[in-house]
Amino acid sequence: MEEGPTWEPEAWGSSGAWPAPRGARTGPSLSSVLNELPSAATLRYRGPGVLPWGASREEEEDGETNVQAVAEAAQKELEQPVPSRELPWPMQARRAHRQSRARDEVAQGSDSTKAHWALRLRRSKEQLRERLHTVQPWAWTLKRIGGQFGAGTESYFSLLRFLLLLNVLASVLKACMTLLPTWLEGAPPGPPGPDTSSPCGFYNPGPQGLVTFPTHLFSLLSGEGFLEWSPLFYGFYPPYRHLAVAYLCSVFVIGLLHLVLILNRSVSGLKQTLLAESGALTSYSHRVFSAWDFGLRGDVHVRLRQRIILYELQVELEEAAVRRQAAVRTLGQQAKVWSVRLLLNLLVMALLGAAFYGVYWATGATVELQEMPLVQEMPLVKLGVDFLPSIFISGVNFLLPPVFKLIAPLEGYTRSRQIVFILLRTVFLRLASLLVLLFSLWNQITCGGNAEAEECKACGYNYKELPCWETRLGQEMYKLLLFDLLAGLAVMLLIQFPRKLLCGLCPGALGRTVGTQEFQVPDEVLGLIYAQTVVWVGSFFCPLLPMLNTVKFLLLFYLKKFTLFFTCSPASRTFRASTVNFFFPLVLLLGLTISAVPVLYSIFLIPPSKLCGPFRGQPSIWAKIPESISRLPRITQNFLFFLGTQAFAVPLLLISSLLMVYTLVLANSYGRLISELKRQIETEAQNKVFLAQRAVALSSANGAL
Amino acid sequence: MGGSGSRLSKELLAEYQVRGTRVPGELARGPALRSGVPGREAERPRPPGGPLNPSRFALQDLTFLTKQEIILAHRRFCELLPQEHRSMEESLQIRVSLEQILSLPELKANPFKERICKVFSTSPARDSLSFEDFLDLLSVFSDTATPDIKSHYAFRIFDFDDDGTLNREDLSQLVNCLTGQGEDTRLSASEMKQLIDNILEESDIDRDGTINLSEFQHVISRSPDFASSFKIVL
Repeated sequence: MEEGPTWEPEAWGSSGAWPAPRGARTGPSLSSVLNELPSAATLRYRGPGVLPWGASREEEEDGETNVQAVAEAAQKELEQPVPSRELPWPMQARRAHRQSRARDEVAQGSDSTKAHWALRLRRSKEQLRERLHTVQPWAWTLKRIGGQFGAGTESYFSLLRFLLLLNVLASVLKACMTLLPTWLEGAPPGPPGPDTSSPCGFYNPGPQGLVTFPTHLFSLLSGEGFLEWSPLFYGFYPPYRHLAVAYLCSVFVIGLLHLVLILNRSVSGLKQTLLAESGALTSYSHRVFSAWDFGLRGDVHVRLRQRIILYELQVELEEAAVRRQAAVRTLGQQAKVWSVRLLLNLLVMALLGAAFYGVYWATGATVELQEMPLVQEMPLVKLGVDFLPSIFISGVNFLLPPVFKLIAPLEGYTRSRQIVFILLRTVFLRLASLLVLLFSLWNQITCGGNAEAEECKACGYNYKELPCWETRLGQEMYKLLLFDLLAGLAVMLLIQFPRKLLCGLCPGALGRTVGTQEFQVPDEVLGLIYAQTVVWVGSFFCPLLPMLNTVKFLLLFYLKKFTLFFTCSPASRTFRASTVNFFFPLVLLLGLTISAVPVLYSIFLIPPSKLCGPFRGQPSIWAKIPESISRLPRITQNFLFFLGTQAFAVPLLLISSLLMVYTLVLANSYGRLISELKRQIETEAQNKVFLAQRAVALSSANGAL
Repeated sequence: MGGSGSRLSKELLAEYQVRGTRVPGELARGPALRSGVPGREAERPRPPGGPLNPSRFALQDLTFLTKQEIILAHRRFCELLPQEHRSMEESLQIRVSLEQILSLPELKANPFKERICKVFSTSPARDSLSFEDFLDLLSVFSDTATPDIKSHYAFRIFDFDDDGTLNREDLSQLVNCLTGQGEDTRLSASEMKQLIDNILEESDIDRDGTINLSEFQHVISRSPDFASSFKIVL
């Protein structure tokens, strides 16, 4: 008995120093005393007729009373009506619980129609949910991918599915709001002939003479020739009044709809991320408790995953050590680290600057090169020149991210920080190169913003080079979309498959290491977001772009799925599902915002082309809206104009800021309550252990006597 | 156990008959078997389309699985049984030994496979699974199970010595399972100690040196990745 645990007040000093004296069966050990506490007993209860947790087989004989006590302790838990299937009990116990509940309901007179209907309603709701679940396309495919490659990869495909939904919605809206009105008001007129002359020059998109098959093909790829005057592009649409309003509204409706859907999707991710407040505080626990993907199967994948986890844990521990070291760095070392970082950042900026200049130059050069007779004669070269901006953007996006990956470790940041830096730079590169392209086009269209320049004076835009600038913008976006798809296909067919096949042929460690390709979730996701941003920018100028993008994403889904199962092994560390769910909708929102800027700018500020499109003859595209409002009845007009006044905006602003303050205060008070409760738990636990220790000490003293 | 087993079979079969869908292999033998037992005909359950009978519970009420998933689970379970035991009645009562369950490809490579089977087994020796236990397992690991129940069972699985709390040994065993048991894949002793200290520092709210269920659930509730990783799909 003297061996029994004694009261050790000093054990409170550090966490984890508590000796848990398990297996001391001779006396009332501390753990057994603690186990008998009602709270512990409740946790161990597994339902009626089943042994509680921790009751080993030897105890079974005298376990009867124990079970009784546990069951009593658990009664409290059962007082709240929990659906049977949410109880952590075996099926048998759950069924008994369900039966007793049903009996209670009967006793309480559940024959009443009300309860009956409530039951019906619940059932039908469940059935509906089940149906909806089966309606979701590729639910099974996603599950399989998640099972084999982990949740990170699965979230790429679910994002792809989400984007597909967005595009399908946009296509339907576009079809209803632009294509339908065009044909409802009679057949649209043909292209303007070469003889139509106006102060803004002439515009003649129609193909001349006999066209050979290769020219057709090249037109298809570059959006010129027979495609230029087709429903694909802005210029085709006739200036009907209803069409113009519907055309403009479709852009705003689609933008708002997408915004709402994306916000709706990112809210759940945001909630989870906010819940994990101060991520550094619980990072180790998360790394261990939710590290294992239970869906993984296959020995190779499991071993890979284990290695990844080991590596991650080691890195994390090392990082903690590095952080401790960094805290005690001397001034000289500090200066050295910072100067290295400064140099590397300058290098990165130089690289980015060069890339942007390249894109800018390529866009400018396209127009000039197209004028050259050599280019005019050879269709293949012409095609190359047409695709020059797309080639530059794709090339830059292909070459620079690996360079960023090489640079990141040199900066002396922790590994998690490095990932963030790589990602930020890649996102910046992706979206900024698109912006540079747009800027370069803007430069051409508006003569560098100088309305007094010679080319732009007459019509407000450069009518000589770009008689229908909206169509030109649409063509650029069309080419970007097409080139993105072609580049993806080329990488898959020319790099990934041969690599897999060749490395499969040569055995040994080399073949295995070179042949193992990872599905790089961040890169792929950024590619998707880039593609979507292009579509957002282009869908005003090229109304059928969402439809084309739907087809593209559909194709991409199957291609990626095929590559994944055929060539890839599970994605490695760092990309957890939560990151994808939170960070990528954020980037998606950024893309939407960025794409809104050029579209809104061209709607409000640049004069529309005089010779093509539904808005010809207007001072700006937006001018159509006030004009059509003035045709509405008086009351509606007044109401709509009132929405635009300060008398409406100021109260709205006040009310929303009041709501925001209220929410902030509420959140603050909850936070205080939580910390209060935490402290209470701590003291309660201390009291509990103290009392238990006293009990153990007293009983062992009695035993000794 | 027998009573519940026969009810289960009726449920499965009733669903089938009303649906009138294609009846796969083993289940087709069900009606013939039932007609061979005349006494049972009288208490045949009303089809789900009719008025609701509170004494009849669909398996969907007791699990988080859909009908198709339950049927698939039954088929997979039957494949584990020897040929002569594959009839409906028997398949619902017989227990499958641990080794057979562990041979399922979904569990085969999982480092926690023994623990999972132990946690879900209701046999006294905790070494075999009935069909209901198997359904329990799939229900908890399904998409639609609540985070609470998932974290509860995760706690049970990680609690290697079944004592109701995660102590230092449990944690080190857990980490070893995660990183692999081999000598070269383990964390060194000092790393392990550091890691466990950190975990306890973060999660052990009441500072008693172990992590209990509510502390565990608290931590898990703030881990956004848990629900998506705690999944097994047949």
